[in-house]
Amino acid sequence: MEVLREKVEEEEAAEREEAAERAEWAEKMERMTKTAEVSKEETIMTQDELRDLEKRLTSIEISIPAEYSFINKSLIDVTKLPPSYSTNSPKEEHLLQVADNFSRQYSHLCPDRVPLFLCPLNECNVPKFVSTTLRPTLMPYPELYNWDSCSQFVSDFLTMVPLLDPLKPPKYLYSSTTVLKCQKGNCFDFSTLLCSMLIGSGYDAYCVNGYGSLDLCLMDLTREVCPLTVKVKEVVKEEEKAMPKKYTVKPPRDLTSKFEQEQENKRLQEIKNQEEKRLREAEERLLAEEKAKPDPLHGLRVHCWVLVLAGKREVPESFFIDPLTAHSYSTKDDHFLGIESLWNHKNYWINMQDCWNCCKELVFDLGDPVRWEYMLLGTDKPHLSLTEEDEDVLDDDDDIDNLGKEEEDKSFDMPPSWVAQIEITPDEFETRCPNGKKVIRYKRAQLEKWAPYLNNNGLVCRLTVYEDLQCTKVLEIKEWYQNREDTLELKHINKITGLHVDYFRPGHPQALRVHSYKSMLPEMDRVMEFYEKIRVDGLIKREETPLTMTEYYQGRSDFLSYRHINFGPRVKKLTQNSAESNPRPMVKITERFLRNPAKPADEDVAERVFLIVEERIQLRYHCRDDYITSSKREFLRRTEVDSKGNKIIMTPDMCISFEVEPMEHTKKLLYQYETMIHLKNEEKLSRHQAWESELEVLEILKLREEEDDAHMLTISIYDTKRNEKSKEYREAMERVLHEEHMRQVESQLDYLAPFLAQLPPGEKLTRWQAVRLKDECLSDFKQRLIDKANLIQARFEKETQELQKKQQWYQENQVTLSPEDEDLYLSYCSQAMFRIRILEQRLNRHKELAPLKYLALEEKLYKDPRLVDFVKVFV
Amino acid sequence: MSRPFDSMDPKVMDDDMLKVAVVEQGPQEEAGQLAKQEGILFKDVRSLQLDFRNILRIDNLWQFENLQKLQLNNNIIERIEGLENLIHLVWLDLSFNNIEAIEGLDTLVNLEDLSLSNNRIAKIDSLDALVKLQVLSLGNNQIGNIMNIIYLRQFSCLRTLTLSENPIAEAEEYKEFIYAYLPDLVYLDFRRIDEQAREASKLKHQYSIDEMKHREALMRARLEDEKAQRQMLEEHKLAFIERLNGPFLFNSMYSEDVEGNKLSSLPGVDELLETYKDKFVIICLNIFEYGLKQQEKRMAELDTFNECIQDAIRENQEQGKLKVTKFEEKHLLNLNAIREESDLPNIEKKLIECSDDITDLFNVLMTLEMQLVEQLEETINIFERNITDMVGLFIENVQSLMAQCRDLENHHHEKILEIAINTLEKILKNEMDEDLPDDVRALFVDKDTIVNAVGASHDIHLLKIDNREDELVTGINSWCAHLLDKIHREEIVRNRKRVKEINQYIDHMQSELDNLECGDIIDI
Repeated sequence: MEVLREKVEEEEAAEREEAAERAEWAEKMERMTKTAEVSKEETIMTQDELRDLEKRLTSIEISIPAEYSFINKSLIDVTKLPPSYSTNSPKEEHLLQVADNFSRQYSHLCPDRVPLFLCPLNECNVPKFVSTTLRPTLMPYPELYNWDSCSQFVSDFLTMVPLLDPLKPPKYLYSSTTVLKCQKGNCFDFSTLLCSMLIGSGYDAYCVNGYGSLDLCLMDLTREVCPLTVKVKEVVKEEEKAMPKKYTVKPPRDLTSKFEQEQENKRLQEIKNQEEKRLREAEERLLAEEKAKPDPLHGLRVHCWVLVLAGKREVPESFFIDPLTAHSYSTKDDHFLGIESLWNHKNYWINMQDCWNCCKELVFDLGDPVRWEYMLLGTDKPHLSLTEEDEDVLDDDDDIDNLGKEEEDKSFDMPPSWVAQIEITPDEFETRCPNGKKVIRYKRAQLEKWAPYLNNNGLVCRLTVYEDLQCTKVLEIKEWYQNREDTLELKHINKITGLHVDYFRPGHPQALRVHSYKSMLPEMDRVMEFYEKIRVDGLIKREETPLTMTEYYQGRSDFLSYRHINFGPRVKKLTQNSAESNPRPMVKITERFLRNPAKPADEDVAERVFLIVEERIQLRYHCRDDYITSSKREFLRRTEVDSKGNKIIMTPDMCISFEVEPMEHTKKLLYQYETMIHLKNEEKLSRHQAWESELEVLEILKLREEEDDAHMLTISIYDTKRNEKSKEYREAMERVLHEEHMRQVESQLDYLAPFLAQLPPGEKLTRWQAVRLKDECLSDFKQRLIDKANLIQARFEKETQELQKKQQWYQENQVTLSPEDEDLYLSYCSQAMFRIRILEQRLNRHKELAPLKYLALEEKLYKDPRLVDFVKVFV
Repeated sequence: MSRPFDSMDPKVMDDDMLKVAVVEQGPQEEAGQLAKQEGILFKDVRSLQLDFRNILRIDNLWQFENLQKLQLNNNIIERIEGLENLIHLVWLDLSFNNIEAIEGLDTLVNLEDLSLSNNRIAKIDSLDALVKLQVLSLGNNQIGNIMNIIYLRQFSCLRTLTLSENPIAEAEEYKEFIYAYLPDLVYLDFRRIDEQAREASKLKHQYSIDEMKHREALMRARLEDEKAQRQMLEEHKLAFIERLNGPFLFNSMYSEDVEGNKLSSLPGVDELLETYKDKFVIICLNIFEYGLKQQEKRMAELDTFNECIQDAIRENQEQGKLKVTKFEEKHLLNLNAIREESDLPNIEKKLIECSDDITDLFNVLMTLEMQLVEQLEETINIFERNITDMVGLFIENVQSLMAQCRDLENHHHEKILEIAINTLEKILKNEMDEDLPDDVRALFVDKDTIVNAVGASHDIHLLKIDNREDELVTGINSWCAHLLDKIHREEIVRNRKRVKEINQYIDHMQSELDNLECGDIIDI
């Protein structure tokens, strides 16, 4: 009892302080509003008027609307909600009583603590216990299986609405289904939804009602560094210094003065220190600037977040998740200032520990009844196995322990959740943010997110980084794209240097990987990197400046690794047709080759330079394994004419060479001549290749411009919603099915309908009625068959009569008839005969079929589901 | 063989003929002019065509070291000769000649295409050296025995074979036989072999082929076994403990020991000998094991040493390369500047600068080299000391083990002597129960004889042991000396080479600069 009393006293003191603070703050606020008013009106008002106004202003009371302001009542039709929303089951009623009892005892024992957040009203104004509002659900999306993606989804999907009263928990706590429908909610709604999802996917998660910092409560990230801007620090791997082997040579003796070195080091250190100091000061200044003004309500702002305890799902350590921002924090974070209570779908715990030092010293062992007062007995949390020392403490606490549970049934457990199944449609899941768009402001950065396919250029995310805290000067922009036909993935624009860098995923028609440029005009500074495995020529990278082009290759069979081309200024062409391309003249081509292991080093060219204007070719060979110098050869390509006008084919001074190991055959003019002829051909080839590279650059630039203009989006063939072709096909299939169905329905006309209509509607058939119905139906059908036979008979007779008449008439007037009339008569006769024959056939057929049809109908009637019960017995 | 050339006299392959042929078949046009101007060395020729020349004897080809293709078809050559030096030959055409036997091709290991059609060859042989043979033409010859085909089985690269118009080609099963016995062949007599026909023939000849294959496999296995054993012995020899892993030494001790063998028939000697042998062999095995272990240790030591030396040299080389590259960059700029400069004093100033740069480079490179030499010397000395110590330790331990052998021998000798004297006494007292062979009994005439006999046996044994020990010690010592000598020599060679290289490079640079100077002066 001692301990408890002390604790209570402490809490009392804290409460008192708090109350004092609150009062002070209220006063301050009042004063502030007043002064603001004053400063506004000062110019016009006199002192008296002012006082008058003051009085009147103080008398005005702001009535806080009791309803949730953000929920549009029209959006949710309360009547359409399931009955569990609007009523309480007996078990829930019982639970509410228990909660009420618990709450009363609690307020009696701890009168200075704020009332518990136990049974808020739901959207139907029905009090519901918080634990039953949690509806553990495992979402059908594999992306939502882990806590990070799950919390990110909740934070994206809902829009945050601040609490009406930042100092009190809300009166209402809506079901997650309603919240999902509105896509709006306060921190309690966020936590409830997230907690439901986390428990559903197997985490040991709890909703926490407590106190948070201003930034946390208002979802203010402007003092946070955007996680996307944080550069991942490369782990510098300390290269393990190989142990000096037994015979490692000693380094040459160091002959420099140690003293001088020391002095120099000292000087450098000093400079470095000063630099560091300056930097630190600057940093501190910056930090001070950024630091928030102290919050007058610090420690009083109510917040609700999620606690994930270690143990389940291989969570190694307990941590908090702020559902508004989806950030995870350690349980010792400064943002969380205190905990009142926490709950999951099974139980409710009150924090009995002191939160003087935020949550840093809290122990999240919910089985410890001294630290966490539970509401329902029989939870799955194991009780602490107490040691001897703790025994008397426990005895002291017996009163509290027993207070909640004396009357209640020991085995009482939480009733099932009243909330309907939480459902997220695939559409909603893809769209994520309300209307598919979300903007988050960070410190010196702004992040915009869109749902895929929302923007027709495929933009899904944009990060703008600013230079200053007020976000006015743009430093750089990063744009992420998805589903683009040109596989553009990320566009990075540096506003200061004007440098654009486009990153592509594999699959671009030109195998482009990275393209960085300042302008899309050709012959400007640019770097293109390629997926070298896709390219046949093994090009990795091509760098361009106005007068040079450098290409890097990899994995070529001719071992070319590097080509550098220097261009000269463009020569003005005199010809009129400007359409013809006028390439810049090449001045110099440098090519480097990797070592070809099949050739000896002296014959394997490492670098060759074609000095095109000077008509010179320089070769540098690879260095031999145990040499430090390499052979060199220089050819003068100029063809000269000797004094007699004959062409000089080759003279010794046309080839200057230095050979590491002089060899006989290379001294020969023939060898040199052949080498030179070969090189001349190679030069032609290289020039051609350089020209082709230029063309390719132009082509890529053209293609890129076209792609940028068109910005086509690809649609996966599995995307049945967007893929037009499959949609059409599917719709066509559906239409065909529908038509087929219609035809079937038509063919099954109800032969009983006219007879059923005669009977009084809504009544069940009696057996007598059924039998009569059947008989009527059959007799009716018989009548119809007879009628039909009679009809055919009548027609037949009529036709024969007419024919007879005509024949009579013909025989009478046979002599006088003209040939035309005779023809007419004959044709009439033949037609009439045809008709008669047909009628005769039909009659015969009808006579044959009529009994069969009658029998078929009878049988059908026996089997008719409406009559079968009665008729069968009868038969 | 009636030919239009028959009327002509046989010609001799002399220098003139070859020269003419080389020039005719050499480069043409502009390059030809150059070639004519300079002359072509025979050893630069890659391909030579000498057909329809009525050559009787192949001669004077020894200079064509790098020849790859030689055509000697349509001559009247009677013997294959004079081709020993043409080891790079890939293609040899000797068709339409009067050759009667295949010979003189043993050095042409690179030969891939051999044409001997239209000759008078009766037997396929002497081709064993031609492991790369792919195409063999033997059409229109006198080959009559079908077993010649089996000889061709050893050429795993052979893909094309021509044997038409030979007596064997007349045989009914000629093709089937070849299909079956040469499974890798693709073309026979200018035709691609039909797979089905091949399968059919294989089935037909399956039994004989399987048998042959089995024999071949056995042969190969035996060869491999032998090779492995040789290798093993080689390894043991490297460790200087060959044949110590068994009773070899012990047996060798008794192989020349007549008296010892005689004495072994004495009663009680048998068991003695048995225990002696066991103990002796155990010591030998100890030496063997120890030797292997030491060898491993030495090799590891040598490897570390080599690795470190290589590292040091490589590092030094990299530094040198870097220096040279830096210098070249700077030098190129300087030269260009000089070329563009028109002011004479300026040129001279710059020339001097350049020349200074070259001298600097020389100094830097030489310093690097000297530094390396010093470092290596020190390391080599350390290694020398360590390896000598190791060898010394090894010798010492082996000697102590050998001393155990000797002790055993002494012990054994004493026992034998005792037995011998006892026996002698018994014989003298006529108490001898068993019968002894006559030659043994001859030893027991008096004490001196028997002691001498036992002593002689003992001496032989000791001599064997001493010899083995000496062999081991001299072996390892000479190995050590050789190794160290080699290391020192290599280091000297390396140093010389580098110094030469540096000097050459510097000279070249300097002369280039001088040329430039001259050129400039002439220009002005």
